[in-house]
Amino acid sequence: MSDVIIENLTKRYDETTAVDDVSLTVTDGETLGVVGPSGCGKTTTLRSVAGFETPTEGRIRFGDEEITHVPPESRNVGLVFQSYALFDNMTVRENIGFGPKMQGVDADERDRRTNRLLELLGIDDLGDRDPTTLSGGQQQRVGLARALAIEPEILLLDEPMTGLDAKLKRRLRTEVGDLLDDLDVTALYVTHDQEEAMEMCDRIAVMNDGILEQVGTPQKVYQQPSNAFVADFIGTSNFLSGESTGDGVDLGFATVPTNGTTPNQGAEAKVTVRPEAFTVGEGTIEATVIDRAYLGDTIRVRAELPDGQEVTLSLDEAAPEPGETTTLSIDESRMHLLES
Amino acid sequence: MSDDTSNRTNDENARRTDGGANIDGFGTTDEESTVTTREANQSLSVRFGRQIIKGVLALTIVFLIGPVILTFISSFAGSWVGVLPSGFFTLENWYVALGYNELGTSRGLGGGLQYSVLLALGGVIINLIVGIPIAYAIVRYDFPGRDLLSTFAILPLVSGLILGIAFLRTYPNLSSSGISLIIGYSLLKAPFMVVAVKSSFETMDLRQLEESARSLGASWPRTFLTVIIPNAKQGIIAGSIICWTLAAAEFNFSYIVYSRGAKPFSLFLFSNISNSGVLQAAAAVSIYFLIVAAVTALLRASGTRGFTYGAR
Repeated sequence: MSDVIIENLTKRYDETTAVDDVSLTVTDGETLGVVGPSGCGKTTTLRSVAGFETPTEGRIRFGDEEITHVPPESRNVGLVFQSYALFDNMTVRENIGFGPKMQGVDADERDRRTNRLLELLGIDDLGDRDPTTLSGGQQQRVGLARALAIEPEILLLDEPMTGLDAKLKRRLRTEVGDLLDDLDVTALYVTHDQEEAMEMCDRIAVMNDGILEQVGTPQKVYQQPSNAFVADFIGTSNFLSGESTGDGVDLGFATVPTNGTTPNQGAEAKVTVRPEAFTVGEGTIEATVIDRAYLGDTIRVRAELPDGQEVTLSLDEAAPEPGETTTLSIDESRMHLLES
Repeated sequence: MSDDTSNRTNDENARRTDGGANIDGFGTTDEESTVTTREANQSLSVRFGRQIIKGVLALTIVFLIGPVILTFISSFAGSWVGVLPSGFFTLENWYVALGYNELGTSRGLGGGLQYSVLLALGGVIINLIVGIPIAYAIVRYDFPGRDLLSTFAILPLVSGLILGIAFLRTYPNLSSSGISLIIGYSLLKAPFMVVAVKSSFETMDLRQLEESARSLGASWPRTFLTVIIPNAKQGIIAGSIICWTLAAAEFNFSYIVYSRGAKPFSLFLFSNISNSGVLQAAAAVSIYFLIVAAVTALLRASGTRGFTYGAR
């Protein structure tokens, strides 16, 4: 296996540009998540790698081999869909063996691979079943096994968990994540669910409107979003605007030093603060609580700052009631200046 | 994780059995007294609704099947003067209908029947070749004129009479051969094939199935033959049966186009009904029903086996 490299991929349909000059590298053995709202071009990117879309511009390479114009059946990519797309005219076992059979793998080896995958995915008792009799989670496992059976260069997962219920989704996330790690499969994981991507992927690429906004580890993307879109899409963000003082940002009620680059003195600057970077009951920032929602593991509070800006805070049981005025402090190390 | 998933199936099975029991209305015990009360309230529809439907169904079956059975029985009778036929058991009507005269020599109509089974089957084969791709294209692709094609492929627009006259005018020399009958049957019955196969395709996610198969290394033709078509087998079998039956029963077109040689099915029936006694007609109708039933069974069996074989 080798790296999968997408170079300057652009895909245009008549008037609209679905993907605009996207370059991405999925390194060998890595799971790269591609997240973004619907219509952001993430599925088009995946389909280009699979070979079902021909790029308007740009190239796709598997290692040193350019495959931009290689037909899908010769690319050796595994596809897992949201709708599972199992072949109902075959048993589970035949579904898994289909790919190797098409590739001319001999029957013994096919059986060996099928057995191993059935076991690996914990569905060894379902081998002779008809796919239509399986539950959603089981079908998804068969779909995954089928895609893995061809020992693909890259595994492409297109919203594979979207159809499942929340609890099963959570369990499968860990399972599939572990499995992808263990097998050292190179994978491109497309989802609109940023939480799912953060849990399962080594790195995350955030797309919006056909443009690649940022690529980085889940931590990097969360803590140091490169722009307002990423900050807003990945988790919850508070945006505070102020004026640059040269070595910090004057937010009106407080001046905070910023890490990294600072815009020119006097320029407008925007910082993002995560809800959990606030502490109540200390500090100098006055805030009035607007409302309060109990979420179980946290309490989400909306509060108004003296200058009228609203912030969302994530607090523990000691959170103030609506109407109360409290003081806030911000963990400055967790504030992030956005490039404007 | 397999434990949990198998639990899930068990649950589902349990639910299914429960559902079955509730419909019968006997699934309750004393401990479930609340459930019993609720069922007592429902029982108006359960008790009367079911009975009424059963009754209507039984009446319909008796009304529709009764004459067929009576006809079949009477075809073995010597005479039918009163309410019920009498004079059993004779095969004379069958001999006459099948074209054997009193001396036992054949007029060759038995072979004609076989020929006419094949005529309709030829129509079905053309329908399969033309109808499946049309249904596939309509469901799978978006192209200019798709709605128009969809409408024309689905509506049986032309009647057999009109098509027959058009055929005679356009190909005056073809009328003696079976080819015009086969083509005519396929043209007339194609909509039924398209509708049946289309409805099968519509329940499948064609694009994702196709892309899955292709990413697994199957070329497009191979994908179409080993994945798409076998998945639509219900529709294809149903369409074939409908097309064959309707082609075999097509009278207008056959009547206009047929000139000489072995008779198509419907004309065989017609000549036996219009020129002969009740009992001979009964025998002819019985022969027709037997052949329809046999071909239907054959299409079903060969279809199911063929597709299963294809998947291995």
